[in-house]
Amino acid sequence: MSVDTIEAVLTRAEAEDLLFREARFLDERKFDGWLAMYADEAVFWMPAWRNETTPTQDPDSELSLIYYEGKANLTDRVWRMGSGLSNASSIPARVVHIVSNVIVDSCEGGKAVVLSAFVAHHHDPRSDRTHAFFGHYRHVFRREGADWLIAAKTITLMNDCIPTVADLYML
Amino acid sequence: MASLTELIDDRREDGVFRVHRAMFDDADIFDLEMRHIFEGGWIFLGLESQVPAAHDYFTVNIGRVPALVIRGGDGVLRGFVNSCPHKGARIAHASCGHARQFICPYHSWSFDSAGRNKAIKWKQGGGYTPAFDQDSHDLAPLPAFGVYQGFVFGSVSADVPSLLDHLGETTKLLDLVAEQGEEGVELIPGGVTFTYEANWKLQLENCSDNYHFTSAHPSYIRLLERRKAAEAEKAGPGFTSAMDSQRHWSGEDDEIVAGTFSFPHGHVLNFGLASPSSASALFERSDWLAQNRGAAKRDWMFNMRNLTIFPNLQVAENASSQLRVIEPIGPNKTRMRTWCIGPKGESKDARRQRIRQYEDFFNPSGMATPDDTVAYEDCQRGFASRVSPWLQGYARGMEASIEGPSELADRIDLKPDYSVSGNSRLCDETIYQSYYREWARRMAGALVA
Repeated sequence: MSVDTIEAVLTRAEAEDLLFREARFLDERKFDGWLAMYADEAVFWMPAWRNETTPTQDPDSELSLIYYEGKANLTDRVWRMGSGLSNASSIPARVVHIVSNVIVDSCEGGKAVVLSAFVAHHHDPRSDRTHAFFGHYRHVFRREGADWLIAAKTITLMNDCIPTVADLYML
Repeated sequence: MASLTELIDDRREDGVFRVHRAMFDDADIFDLEMRHIFEGGWIFLGLESQVPAAHDYFTVNIGRVPALVIRGGDGVLRGFVNSCPHKGARIAHASCGHARQFICPYHSWSFDSAGRNKAIKWKQGGGYTPAFDQDSHDLAPLPAFGVYQGFVFGSVSADVPSLLDHLGETTKLLDLVAEQGEEGVELIPGGVTFTYEANWKLQLENCSDNYHFTSAHPSYIRLLERRKAAEAEKAGPGFTSAMDSQRHWSGEDDEIVAGTFSFPHGHVLNFGLASPSSASALFERSDWLAQNRGAAKRDWMFNMRNLTIFPNLQVAENASSQLRVIEPIGPNKTRMRTWCIGPKGESKDARRQRIRQYEDFFNPSGMATPDDTVAYEDCQRGFASRVSPWLQGYARGMEASIEGPSELADRIDLKPDYSVSGNSRLCDETIYQSYYREWARRMAGALVA
């Protein structure tokens, strides 16, 4: 790892730019751009809840709503959405993500942990229903050359009683 | 209101079984279902393993009635209506927890973990009459409550058969779940709840539906192929599915690979044959199961099995292992409470494999369930029609249905009322007839024949 990588500093403005860009890719269904933000080894995790107050913490012994190790699994999900073979995906929801309250929690050795809050509004034209998922994001960005790649994303979904569908682009 | 025969056209002798669309979207019928089915008979409440220690409890709904299941200080499991005898408030609010004592937050009446009233605030000097003292102030026990192999059931009606009579032959199918572990099965931490805007009976039917799989889930099937190809390319550990070892859904077999069993009281099983394989998290226990449970039971444990205990419990062992509880909210809305279940004491690797397979297939944020629930909502829209109101989804398999057990049932001494066996294209639909015959039996007092 070069000295430049180790000493790279992620400012809040830069972190916001990364988060807003990810949200925009999802809103605009530009999934190739979205996937390009992820490192190959990326861990994408949305825990379930043990009870009223505590999300699950160990994905190997407790259930998650979504848990994937490796970008290939995200690529699979993107393929499914566009495959024409999924009834739930055939008329996609219209989505707007609002990402806010951004904090660069730590940044050292070419790794930055960024915390934020999100609301993901979606409107499903097929059922004429509107809903908003909300919660916290925790992104781990890894410096690669001149870029920051998403090495891990954790979504803590507060309203976890899911109305029919929660696909990746709606979260 | 419609009569029973206007809702269910059951003429087995003429080769006819049809269900009317009003069955799924009529608000008056829904109210009667709540009273006569969900509040009129046995309901699955949870697993005993949710409350291992004294004073552990969980809360649940029996139809519209809040209930509390709690292990007393004496170790005895009991069920109560979760409602203070004073003003009716719920006394337990969390989904699960541990409490020696419950104090009603409204007026502080208190109860111990055996449901006994411990104190009435300012009882002394409260001006109560002797008649008040003659009333019990304890929590009302559920009129019927019982446990079979760790599966806890209760009823808010006393007018029910014994639990063993209610379950009948399906105890042997619950055994196939419970006996996978030396000490039974457990809910894996992390429950998942979702809703869909359609009738509860669509979920009842979907679990028993071998016909929809290649139609509703082609994206999942193709993804398994994609992953296999990717895995072969880089020879790395990829995602497997327990379905990888199974062919009963493929539509490409001519021998017997699948079938159904129908039992009294609306309970059913649909199954697909599968061999013990490392695609299943249970594989590490295969030899142990053969030695301790017998080869026939072991073999059946590896088959794809979707079990419904009418009206609210489904145990689906196919891509992984799921326990589902159906909670009707209205004629057009249903809440599903779901968990991954696994044998107690399984290895870390097997547990991890089971969980990953589960999330992929069963979660509303996964790749199969949403393709079902969106289809339920499409059905619900279509149910509004009264033009050609009879649904035709109960006819497949009528020529193949036999009375009594099939040879496959005999292997575990199972005695269903009806059996169907066939290739992967038969996809029996007579299995649903059991649901509606039991429905009709329960509703007989409420609807005219």
